[in-house]
Amino acid sequence: MTTPPWRAAGGTAVQRPGFHPVAVRKTLGKASTQASQPPTQAARRTQFPDALKAYVARTFEHCPSENKSEVEVALKKIITEAFENQTVWSIDWATHPLPTAARRASVDSSDMMDISSGDEASPISQQPSVNKLNKLGKAPNNTNNNVNNNKRKLGSRITSERNESDREVSRPDKRSKKLNTSDYSYEGPDAFKRLDRKYKRHQTTKNVFSQYHSMHSALDSPAFAPIVGRSTTLEKRYLRLTSAPDPATVRPQHVLEKTLELLKTKWKAENNYSYICDQFKSLRQDLTVQHLKNDFTVNVYEIHARIALEKGDLGEYNQCQSQLANLYSERIPGGHPHEFKAYRILYLLYTCNRSDMNDILASLTPAEKQDRAILHALAVRGAVASGNFHRFFRLYLDAPNMGGYLMDSFIDRQRLAALSAICKSYRPDVPFRHITEELGFENDAECEAFLVKHNAGQFIKTKQTTKGEGDEQQMVDKVTLETQKAMTTFEAAKAAAFKKVDIKGQI
Amino acid sequence: MSSKDSKTPKPEETKEPKAVKKMLEEDDEFEDFPAEEWEEDETEVPGGGKPNLWEESWDDDDLSEDFSKQLREELKRVDAQKASGEMQR
Amino acid sequence: MESLIRAWRLAHVEENGKLLASTISLTNTDLEEFAYSTNSARVAEDIFRALEYENNSARPKITNKNGLEAWAEVYVAFWKVSQSLERYDEVEWGQVFTGMKDLTQAVIRGFQNSGWEVWALEVLYTACKYLRYVAIRADEAKRAEGEDAWKQLEEAARIINRAFNVCLNDRAELAQSRKWGTYYIINLLFKTYFKLNAITLSKNILKALVANTTEMPDLLSFRTSDIVTFKYYCGVIAFLDEDYFKAEEHLEMAYKLCHKDAQKNKELILTYLIPTKLLTRRQLPSATLLKPHPSLEALFLPLARCIKDGDLRGYDEYLAKGEDWFVKKRIFLTLERGRDITLRNLFRKVYLAAGESKTRIPVDHFRAAVSWKSGVDVETEEVECFLANMMYKGYIKGYISRERGMVVLSGTNAFPNPSNTS
Repeated sequence: MTTPPWRAAGGTAVQRPGFHPVAVRKTLGKASTQASQPPTQAARRTQFPDALKAYVARTFEHCPSENKSEVEVALKKIITEAFENQTVWSIDWATHPLPTAARRASVDSSDMMDISSGDEASPISQQPSVNKLNKLGKAPNNTNNNVNNNKRKLGSRITSERNESDREVSRPDKRSKKLNTSDYSYEGPDAFKRLDRKYKRHQTTKNVFSQYHSMHSALDSPAFAPIVGRSTTLEKRYLRLTSAPDPATVRPQHVLEKTLELLKTKWKAENNYSYICDQFKSLRQDLTVQHLKNDFTVNVYEIHARIALEKGDLGEYNQCQSQLANLYSERIPGGHPHEFKAYRILYLLYTCNRSDMNDILASLTPAEKQDRAILHALAVRGAVASGNFHRFFRLYLDAPNMGGYLMDSFIDRQRLAALSAICKSYRPDVPFRHITEELGFENDAECEAFLVKHNAGQFIKTKQTTKGEGDEQQMVDKVTLETQKAMTTFEAAKAAAFKKVDIKGQI
Repeated sequence: MSSKDSKTPKPEETKEPKAVKKMLEEDDEFEDFPAEEWEEDETEVPGGGKPNLWEESWDDDDLSEDFSKQLREELKRVDAQKASGEMQR
Repeated sequence: MESLIRAWRLAHVEENGKLLASTISLTNTDLEEFAYSTNSARVAEDIFRALEYENNSARPKITNKNGLEAWAEVYVAFWKVSQSLERYDEVEWGQVFTGMKDLTQAVIRGFQNSGWEVWALEVLYTACKYLRYVAIRADEAKRAEGEDAWKQLEEAARIINRAFNVCLNDRAELAQSRKWGTYYIINLLFKTYFKLNAITLSKNILKALVANTTEMPDLLSFRTSDIVTFKYYCGVIAFLDEDYFKAEEHLEMAYKLCHKDAQKNKELILTYLIPTKLLTRRQLPSATLLKPHPSLEALFLPLARCIKDGDLRGYDEYLAKGEDWFVKKRIFLTLERGRDITLRNLFRKVYLAAGESKTRIPVDHFRAAVSWKSGVDVETEEVECFLANMMYKGYIKGYISRERGMVVLSGTNAFPNPSNTS
């Protein structure tokens, strides 16, 4: 058999039978001629009649928001067909029925919510096959066994404990393949590439729907109109919303701006965190219910995040952080995305979240990699990863912005890790001062308190050593940590510290 | 405690080898195979396996190679420097 | 249209799944002819009549009226796809996608309700495969207009997931079971979820699979292409989960069974197998392994050499050089752990340089080795910190005497075999 034309062309051919192609049967194929008009009316079909525009507008007017995408599809279909059948100028759009989805009140959209849900509860085959009955007599094909033998060779290298009974079932496609291998041209791995070539990728020219798109977006009013608050009271206690917000108790932005100033002043003067946190939460709530997303919003979240950091309230901080991430990604001007990205990196170190860390590293732009705060956070990450505690505690003392507060959340953990390594490796002991300096303590007293807190106070010893040489030799007291004895204590404390990473408000 | 950190992180140079650049741009989807089924002799590592695909990450025998030699030179130099420093003192 | 529908009959007569699948393939060379063979007003009728004609000329008949209707739905949808592709100056991919959805759903219904047999599974494969392709093209078009989402691909994922359930939950006896389609569809889902960056959903699929494992034919009795693809994705999922021993098992198998000419796929497997083996076995890729893959070779070979040599400076440099790609592939944090072995090898060389019998080595020597060629004088405290870590992790047996500025090494086996350390 010579190479059939469809193979030469490189496409997956519809299989012709082995005989000569028959001429198209005109009886059945009556469709062909007139339907295949060359698409030359490009100019014409990019024009929308005004009546059609009004029709589109009407469609969306009555359309429940959750049906919008479905309606869009239906509309496109209607319009495409109208163009295709050249009826776009003849249809009476004023009386043309609206797409059904646009008229339906509401649909159960549960199927749209979870992309993993296979919504078929029990997709058991409902009907016995009509054909199956015909084939009951068919004996299993001999070729199966050969195929399986080959297969076993391949598989037995990987698992040897397979038993014979596993092998009895043969793959059904083997049989059908056998029947027609010679004349089937396998699509091959480049099917997509061929399609890519045929229908060029990255088309930039506007298509017939571009006008329709702009119309659509003009009509696209938000589903729930945000409320506009009327309250002028600066302070408000935070209450979780249980019903629709009442405009009378919601403060509009110009009032909220005054609130923020008041809160800043009060925070400086009184430093009362539970009051401030409560007030900020109600402030954020008023922003949310009014759909306010602007530089002021960013400012509010940033300030609240910083205050929460200062107070070590990581749960609240994290809520602000994730809101901020959204706001930054919407490119709302103002704000300090770099500062907060650096916090995020430190925060992920705290939570030991490696996969999110991976993501954030992958997301860094060249500009971000030049930012001082981000560079610092990355250096901290590197120091933790390589167990370089010397470097780590240097960075701790040198953290920009509020980074030090974030590092506070895992500084003890890192100290215990460092102490474990130190106690494992130094003999016979290690100078107490060395620990104070290496582990970033303010002074010896703070260091001692830390050791005592972790039940290691007993291992601090004062011993006499000689200092100087010859005549100038004198005895001095030297405070040390007995490393070998302290080892198990720190090991246990370290293990406990790393086990507990649990904060409310974490995403 | 000295506060100067001699290892202040500095931005990486962003020179990438060409191969890396190409790989960065590529889509990384697992591709369809040229066939659906193949026999053992068409697999990457058939039957007896291939030798020398993996090596240990340490090489404790090799002492003659360049790097070790250079390192020894460097250590000698450091020792000498130290000795002369002590002499001067 | 005739040639297409004739192929439909032939495929049924021969029970030839591939032939049947080719009748709904987007690379079908008759696509244009099919697109122009009818119009939207008549397509349903034309197709039904063509099917009916072929059905009547088959002995015995292929199906009944309901069966014909089920197939007519498929081909009407396919016609819509074909005309969206062939009859416009510019392809509107959103429209093609709508057609592909109808097509795939009609195919799923065919298997679920119309008793299509297992030999025809290729049809399901082809439908899902192109559904996914078209969804990506449609989303790309939207993204070119500034939309930042993969909405249509997500929709495609939901439909393919349905196909997955239709295969997985088939209770027919194994020889006639759609379970044979499970792995092909799973692989499509994996590809889709990875593109959507929704790896958790892949894990849900694996959970569903495990729950069904008793009735499922053994993985090794599936097609090799399905096995290798499945193993690759399982390996990457385990890798991202930091379950490196499992990852090694999957990836090793994927690599061994991979078709020797599938260059790109081998590289993808190795991308994850290399960092995995560094962690699980402290092993590095050999020059032989990397030779056929220049781009991998450029990134991994110098790094591997530096680790072996204990060239700390070089290691840091090459890690930084490949950082963007390593990070993008999510292997950076794993490769980074190679630094410990590099340090261990470097410190061992310091020990050897001092002479085999010497067990007391000045900290200064280690400091010189670490600072060497780096242009910075690394502080003694930092070097002690490295040493302490090495000892803590079991790479070095010995202790540091701070008072004397000495490292005192164990007289026997001061640098144990790294593969025995955790």
